[in-house]
Amino acid sequence: MYILQAIASISHQEVFQKELFWSNLHALEAETNIQHPDYKAFIPANALRRLSPILRMGIACAKSCQEAISEPFDSISVGTGLGCLIDTEKFLVTINTTSGDILSPTAFIQSTHNTISGQISLDLKNHAYNMTHTQNTLSFEVALLDGMLCVDEGKKHVLVGAADETVPFLKRLQPDIVSDEYPLTSGATFMVIGSENKSDAVGIVACELSFKQRDLTTWVDAFLAKHQMTAAQIGLVLHYDALELNDFQNKLSYAPLVGYNMSAPAFAAHLAVDWLKDSANQGAVLLINNMDSNKQALTLFQKA
Amino acid sequence: MSDFKETLKAQIIEQLNLEDLQPSDIQDDAPLFGEDGLGLDSIDALEFIVLLDSNYNIKIADPNQGRDIFYSVNTLADYISKNKQ
Repeated sequence: MYILQAIASISHQEVFQKELFWSNLHALEAETNIQHPDYKAFIPANALRRLSPILRMGIACAKSCQEAISEPFDSISVGTGLGCLIDTEKFLVTINTTSGDILSPTAFIQSTHNTISGQISLDLKNHAYNMTHTQNTLSFEVALLDGMLCVDEGKKHVLVGAADETVPFLKRLQPDIVSDEYPLTSGATFMVIGSENKSDAVGIVACELSFKQRDLTTWVDAFLAKHQMTAAQIGLVLHYDALELNDFQNKLSYAPLVGYNMSAPAFAAHLAVDWLKDSANQGAVLLINNMDSNKQALTLFQKA
Repeated sequence: MSDFKETLKAQIIEQLNLEDLQPSDIQDDAPLFGEDGLGLDSIDALEFIVLLDSNYNIKIADPNQGRDIFYSVNTLADYISKNKQ
C-alpha cells in the first residue's frame, strides 16, 4: 500500500489546509469562484507577480505538503490535462495581434505544461526526479502511477499531483471538445505518498488505467478481486459521470462538487482521503474516473 | 519629462506585472535591478526590450547596452527620448 503523508487542494470548495470538510461541500453554481488562499504566505512576492493561477495553485499545494512532512521530496510527478492555459492564450493572442518581432518572454516560458512541476522544483530548490504527464482526463492517474513506481523504487517522500485552469475560451469548445454538463473550473490537488506506515494513516491500494472503453461492471469486479476485496467492503464509490454499478450501496458523483476540469479526479482523490479520515465512515473507497468514456481509471483507497 | 517618467513607470509596472507597486513607489534614480533596487532579474531585462519595441519602436541591437540603459528610470527615459522614432 502507498501511504499518504500529506495532501492539499485548492478548488472552488473551501478545502485548502482543512480536514473533515465533507459537511461543508456544496454543489457548485454555474458561475463560481475558486477559493484562492493568500499566496504571499507560500510564494515570494518577486516570483508571485509572474505566476498565473495554475502555477500559484500548484506551488501553494506542494509547499503545504512540504511543510506537513518537513522532508524534501524524493520525486515530483505532476499531471495536467490542458496545462498553463492563461499564459498559452496570452502568448498566442500577442502573436496574433502584434507584428511578432519581439514577444514577451514570460508568457512563452510559462506556457508549457511542465512549468508547474518546474516552478515547484525551482521554488523548493529540489533537484530530484521531476516529471510532467499530460493525458487529458487521465493525467492525474498517470502521474499517480509514476509516483507509485517511485515508491516501489524506494523513494520515501513522493509528491504527486494534478492541476488545471480554465479560461473563457474553453466555453467556445463546448460541447464537442469540452463537456458542458458542469461549470468550467480550475483546481489543484497535490499529495505525498510513501511506504512508511503510521497509525490512522490512509493509503492507496492500487490504480489501474484503460485507454479504451471497458465494461465497468466486469472491470471493477476483476479489479477488486485482484486486491482481495468485494463490493461489500467498499464504503463509498466516487464517480464522475452517471454509472450503473448495482452491487454498491453508497455511490456519489463528484462532478457537481468539483465542476469540469481535467484534474477533477485529483480533487476526488482528496475527497476519498478525507472521507476515510472520518472515523464514522467504514470500508474502502473506490474512485472511478469516467469523465471520458474512452479513458477510464480505477483507484482504490483504504485505511492503512 | 516628469510626466513622461510617470507614464514610463506605469508601463514598467504593467509590463513586469509589478502588481503591488504604484508609480510613486519607483524612484527616478534608484537602480531597477539587483537587491538595492526593485530586485528585477534577467527575464525583466527581456521584458524591457519588448517594452521599448512595442511602445517606442526602439530596437536594442546590442543586448550589452541594456545594463546601462535599464539602470534606472532616469537612464531609461533619457535613452527613449534620444532614440524615439
